[in-house]
Amino acid sequence: MILNHFQTMVIFAFVISLAFAFLSKSETSERVRYTVWAFLAFLVVAIGIGWLMYPFSN
Amino acid sequence: MAEKHTNPINPGLALVAAVAGWLVPGLGHVLLRKWSKAIVYFCAVAVLALVGLLLRGNVFSSNAADAFDMLGFLADIGNGIFYFLAGTINSAGANTAIAAGDYGTRLFATAGVLNLLCVLEVLQIGFASKREEQGQAG
Repeated sequence: MILNHFQTMVIFAFVISLAFAFLSKSETSERVRYTVWAFLAFLVVAIGIGWLMYPFSN
Repeated sequence: MAEKHTNPINPGLALVAAVAGWLVPGLGHVLLRKWSKAIVYFCAVAVLALVGLLLRGNVFSSNAADAFDMLGFLADIGNGIFYFLAGTINSAGANTAIAAGDYGTRLFATAGVLNLLCVLEVLQIGFASKREEQGQAG
């Protein structure tokens, strides 16, 4: 199986967000909110850092 | 507002559940009747571990060459059954010469550390130090 960096990151971000939601929150609505928030935060931060590093890629 | 209380559970059962939870992710929570957490934790660890192995990530062995290899082993051994079945699941072995193999190494280690966190939660629930919402199924 071959996945690119972005696909791997999406799998990682979703699974970790979901697991952390169940570890840290007790109500379903809180868990859903936390999962969505953490998942989006993972993606935004990773893409942001990617853009910051882009000038140094060559 | 839901009343909070500590959930009294036998400490002996907590230790058995912790070992079971390490060996099979989520099994510890099953023994403590935390059904939804058990399903989510098993699926989370299984997805990360299986994707990591299918990407041909490196699985560290106990005869570590240096401290970083030992850290990798400690993270990987947290996967329990997935660590012991790694050779069966991906008989082709590791290939970190390609980027995907490197991602796989990280995913497999992440799965192990996540499972160790779940084991800690089992101990926390078992020794009744974690407050649970009254009437919550898990």
